[in-house]
Amino acid sequence: MSQATAIVALMKRDLRAFLRSRSQLYSSVLFPLMLLAILGTGVSDGLDPKHIRDYVTFLTPGMIAMTAVFSSTFSSASYYQDRDSGVLKVLLASPHSPRVVLLGKTLSAVIIGAVQALLVLAVAAAIPAIHFQWQYGVGWSLLAAVFAIVVLNLFLSGLGQLLASKIRTMQGFHLVMNLVLFPFLFFSGAFFPLTDLPVWLKVLGRLNPLSYGVDMMHLALYANGGGGYFGLPMDLGVLTALAVAVFYFGTSRSVSPDR
Amino acid sequence: MKIAAAPGATDRTFAPTHPAAVEVRDLVYRYGERRALDGLSLAVPSGAIFGLLGPNGSGKSTLLSILIGRRAAESGEVAVLGEPLSNHQRARIGIVFQEPSLDPQMTVSETMDLQARMFGLRRDAGSAQTHALLERVDLAERADALTATLSGGMKRRLELARALLNSPELLLLDEPTLALDPDSRLRLWEHLLEANAEGRTLLLATNDVAEAERYCQTVALLDEGRLVAQGRPEDLKRDLRHESVRIEWAEDPADEAVMMEGWPGVGHVRLAGHTTHVTVDAASPFLARLFQQTGDRVRGVRIEATTLEDVYFQLVGRGIASPGGAEGGAS
Repeated sequence: MSQATAIVALMKRDLRAFLRSRSQLYSSVLFPLMLLAILGTGVSDGLDPKHIRDYVTFLTPGMIAMTAVFSSTFSSASYYQDRDSGVLKVLLASPHSPRVVLLGKTLSAVIIGAVQALLVLAVAAAIPAIHFQWQYGVGWSLLAAVFAIVVLNLFLSGLGQLLASKIRTMQGFHLVMNLVLFPFLFFSGAFFPLTDLPVWLKVLGRLNPLSYGVDMMHLALYANGGGGYFGLPMDLGVLTALAVAVFYFGTSRSVSPDR
Repeated sequence: MKIAAAPGATDRTFAPTHPAAVEVRDLVYRYGERRALDGLSLAVPSGAIFGLLGPNGSGKSTLLSILIGRRAAESGEVAVLGEPLSNHQRARIGIVFQEPSLDPQMTVSETMDLQARMFGLRRDAGSAQTHALLERVDLAERADALTATLSGGMKRRLELARALLNSPELLLLDEPTLALDPDSRLRLWEHLLEANAEGRTLLLATNDVAEAERYCQTVALLDEGRLVAQGRPEDLKRDLRHESVRIEWAEDPADEAVMMEGWPGVGHVRLAGHTTHVTVDAASPFLARLFQQTGDRVRGVRIEATTLEDVYFQLVGRGIASPGGAEGGAS
């Protein structure tokens, strides 16, 4: 009996549960699009930002990152549902290590998060008011955006597992995730460019893993020339290294039957 | 890492290959400062229905969780089916947990399918096993129903079917009939006896004395993680050499209970509302004295067969229903 069979079975189970939860499916895609319409139009017309060309398009990579953030968080929380329903201890009583169980669950969270973020990207691409620049050509730009989305979800799902190993309740998990992720999101360049911020916020932006994902998506979708805030090689390197490390440690964590 | 398929994964019967399905020696496990298992040693014969009997906190569930590898003992030795614990061994074990363990968003057949995949059964073999087991536990017609829609008894039968899917040689049962109505209990036990008849060893953790007496060939009485006594229920009771008298009182019998404790030939006196259970060397002289001294305060008297509860009380000094300090979670 191979570990791959077990991992695929666990992934299929979580994906099926997600597809059955229509409200989660629709709201996770509709919410960022709604925010894009309201916030994008509101800021463009109401505040008229001088330094940002085409704010709605600028905001789109941020909304895609936000989709990944909330989707991965939500999917990681299914660990608590399995623990509370007693399913987790049944899975742990199988002939597989806890790592296999965590891998199956975390990979499904990555897939769910990535697919939702890609859906937002696809819908945004079809909206006439959003003007993606595809500065590396459509194919390479799209590849860069998809890569950023997948790697971002790897990082976030791993982070979810790391936090779940420390936090006993699902309520506490959501609270801490919000506490961690909202600042991540705000200082990632998703809503406003990092360029004109005070130095201390720029430092936070540089320490923020999400900034590199958002920057990469800005380069792929929004930028029309220019090397972005960090630059593509830096985005690629930092994001990949962080995602691999956090995902590895997140899925290697110990699983206690009591928490 | 590849794990070998469970032997007899599709077989329905097999002959035990080891004299002891479970053997533990000097097992110690702690929850913080409290010793949940305090040097426990016992052997479960292959093919037996073996009961672990004791109150909450006596170490029953902790032992089961060690046997499936969910907890690691602090010290001591564990052998399951003749070998030390390993992932490979877990493929030969099935378990029904005390608490419900079904995903309410999965259907009955999806629940079985996931288990089949986790235990490495091939799709066709898994489907055939699932179908046969659901037929066996009368759930075939509910195969497409969400588990959330099943009754308590059905859920338990599904959990049993799931535990049997990998054709385990050893079936661990942690209070499987808890909170079931009498009919559901009976039906579940019919299936459990059938599983035992196929050669599987059943290791049952329970604090239900009647169930242990009725179904277990051997019982181990546990107290605070230690083995107090072990043997066939009838042998344990025979060794007690006591009779049990149940007295119904017209009013609160606290004073009478204290009084009776001082009488010669009286063993243990247990109060339960307006009822007193007394173990005595001989019922006749006890009853004569009872009526003489308490008169019309007694509403009724019944001489009952000695139970394992009486045995436990005699050995430990408290009943199985009374908590034994369950802090730390598992009992």
